[in-house]
Amino acid sequence: MRYGPLAALRHRSPVHGLDRRNLGPAEVIAQSVSCAAPAAGMATVPAIVATSAGSATVWSFVLATVLAVLVAACIGSFTRRMAAAGSLYSLTSKGLPPGAAFASCAAIVAGYLVLVMAALTGASIYFDALMARFGWAAPPAVGAAAALALAAVAGALVLRGVRLSARTVLAVEAVSIALMLVIFAVLLATATPAPPGGAAEPGLAGVAAGVLPALGAFIGFEAATTLGVEARRPFSSVPRAVLGTAAVVGLLSIVAAVTQVRGFDGGLGGQPEPVVTLAAAHGTSWLAVLLDAGITTSFVACTLATTNALVRVLFSMGRDKIVPRALGRTHARYRTPHIAIAVALPVAAAVPAALLGAGTPGQDVLRILLTIATAGFLVGYLLVCLAAPLFLRRIGELTPGPVIITAVTVPALAATCIAFLLSALDGPVPVVLAGLLAAVLGWYVWLRLRHPDRLAAIGVYDETSAADVHPARVP
Amino acid sequence: MTDPLPLSGRQPRAVRSALAVLEEVVAAGPGITAKEISAALRLPQATTYRLLNLLVDEEYLVRLPDLRGFALGRRAARLALPLTPVPSTAARAVVAHLRGMVRWGVHLASFATGHVELVDTDPDHPPAEPALIARYPHASALGKLLLAEQPQWRAVVRDLRRFTEHTVDAAELDRQLAGIAEVELARQCGELRADRGCLAVPVRSPDGTTLVAGLALAGPPNRVAEPNEELVALLREHATRLAPLLA
Repeated sequence: MRYGPLAALRHRSPVHGLDRRNLGPAEVIAQSVSCAAPAAGMATVPAIVATSAGSATVWSFVLATVLAVLVAACIGSFTRRMAAAGSLYSLTSKGLPPGAAFASCAAIVAGYLVLVMAALTGASIYFDALMARFGWAAPPAVGAAAALALAAVAGALVLRGVRLSARTVLAVEAVSIALMLVIFAVLLATATPAPPGGAAEPGLAGVAAGVLPALGAFIGFEAATTLGVEARRPFSSVPRAVLGTAAVVGLLSIVAAVTQVRGFDGGLGGQPEPVVTLAAAHGTSWLAVLLDAGITTSFVACTLATTNALVRVLFSMGRDKIVPRALGRTHARYRTPHIAIAVALPVAAAVPAALLGAGTPGQDVLRILLTIATAGFLVGYLLVCLAAPLFLRRIGELTPGPVIITAVTVPALAATCIAFLLSALDGPVPVVLAGLLAAVLGWYVWLRLRHPDRLAAIGVYDETSAADVHPARVP
Repeated sequence: MTDPLPLSGRQPRAVRSALAVLEEVVAAGPGITAKEISAALRLPQATTYRLLNLLVDEEYLVRLPDLRGFALGRRAARLALPLTPVPSTAARAVVAHLRGMVRWGVHLASFATGHVELVDTDPDHPPAEPALIARYPHASALGKLLLAEQPQWRAVVRDLRRFTEHTVDAAELDRQLAGIAEVELARQCGELRADRGCLAVPVRSPDGTTLVAGLALAGPPNRVAEPNEELVALLREHATRLAPLLA
């Protein structure tokens, strides 16, 4: 018999069924790094940032890195104290009221779902580009088929257990980053600074405007938080993975930005294929093949890692009973959320396959999907940063550090969100976002009316159960 | 907000503080909060929180479900040698009685420490691998009794080592443990050593809830694999007689 606080312990964890405490630190960090897909970001994001920040592009990346590291610190306040599978929403629920946790939940699910779509699109179009370099121009149907095939492979790997999928992610991502480092080392070694052009200094406003697209290179870096239940030592490996990913992605992006800004000297903004152009200019056009291979593998790893993250968030929501409970079931042998995989992946694969199959330009699809995903992640980051000091105060462990971090991060993220809204006013993005918002609101109202108890209890995590405590019996 | 400082041998104060935090949790009992520990030990708050997070990461402490309170974790049990209870003379007499009735080795194991502790082994038929039985519960009938009682046996078993071709794997263990929980009889046929087998039944507290000990018969594996209905009935009868003497 147990008395006092131990009497209330559950017999087993509410997230039982996952392969608990079984992943090493390398596999956990690979999850975060791959979700952020730094290799793809290195090749594409600096040119986008340069359209607003010009020659100060590097500073935009420095600021975005600082912001990402601060967000990682806020996430660390939670992940050093609790292990969850539901990413930011499980964490946010411990500091903010259920409504905010629900908003975080909807934002993060949309973020991961659309990021899977974007990664499938990216893998497909850069695979096509790679084939085109060998002289085989594929029709649109091939791109759609490639996206479907990759989704099927990802589904199988993610189903077969977290260790297999995490190790595959680790291997594929290592290849893509190695390729990128080779490319940028060659470019830095061969590049001679272009003659000074007449590029105007963009000023502080330009640097600030560049932070939003630069932050786009980081989204997904929090994905290790979905492996809290499965990591062997979640309270150290998850916060380290998130913080380390913010730093690594920041460093890689800054290297990429320095290389490209130097190479174009002010003309980087609006370059469609900056790295390829640079490579051709320096007589190393074979780099283009490596580049396309690196970006493709990066998107493949991103597909896998993001699928891992997405199905675990859906699993948590199933256990929270705010979606059909079947989503919270796990496969008896593989110990993965198989129903969530079966529901989410067809949806994630159908959208890019339909868009690519219909002949929509791949780069447009990719850009729109990434913009929508960014919106979800920005909301998620903003809420988790707001929640961190409130959570610490609730458990009586508040120190000045987290308060200062939140005081800096929340206004910066709020400004970024406003910048995002202003930048996304045209095109199909606002329509999609409005549709998503309406669906989320309807879902929230339905929960409020029908199941207020489930909403109030949102935020399942791997809490201490009777098996985890010292077996000594209280006399 | 940075990572916990790495502990090296050059930081005796940090080690001392960590031990003091552990002692304070033991002294105050489960549910003590970080702030209370910091106040009781006069440690700076940030230091206390960092040490607590470190000790939770190492599983010496756990956070209770309210995330405020702390309690000793399962791993803390490794810091002290478990006290093995010596069975009373009355209990040993029951075991000796059973030995007089069968031609098998009769062993009694206590589960009070959370491990298989052989507390009364047959002097005429000593157990084959007493050290391995405690360390690898998946390979013995007594160990399987203990595992069948756990909410998650994976939390207890670190290594499903294969000793013979009959040693169970995870899927087979899952299947067997479900059966053991149902019929309250565990069996092991040549899974630890090819020439030995074992039958074991649980000894539960008289109210039937807590598993306190296991009573086992050891013999050749082909004999263990038989139904042995009379033998099992005899074993259960003695286990029932042991219950009030051990619990």
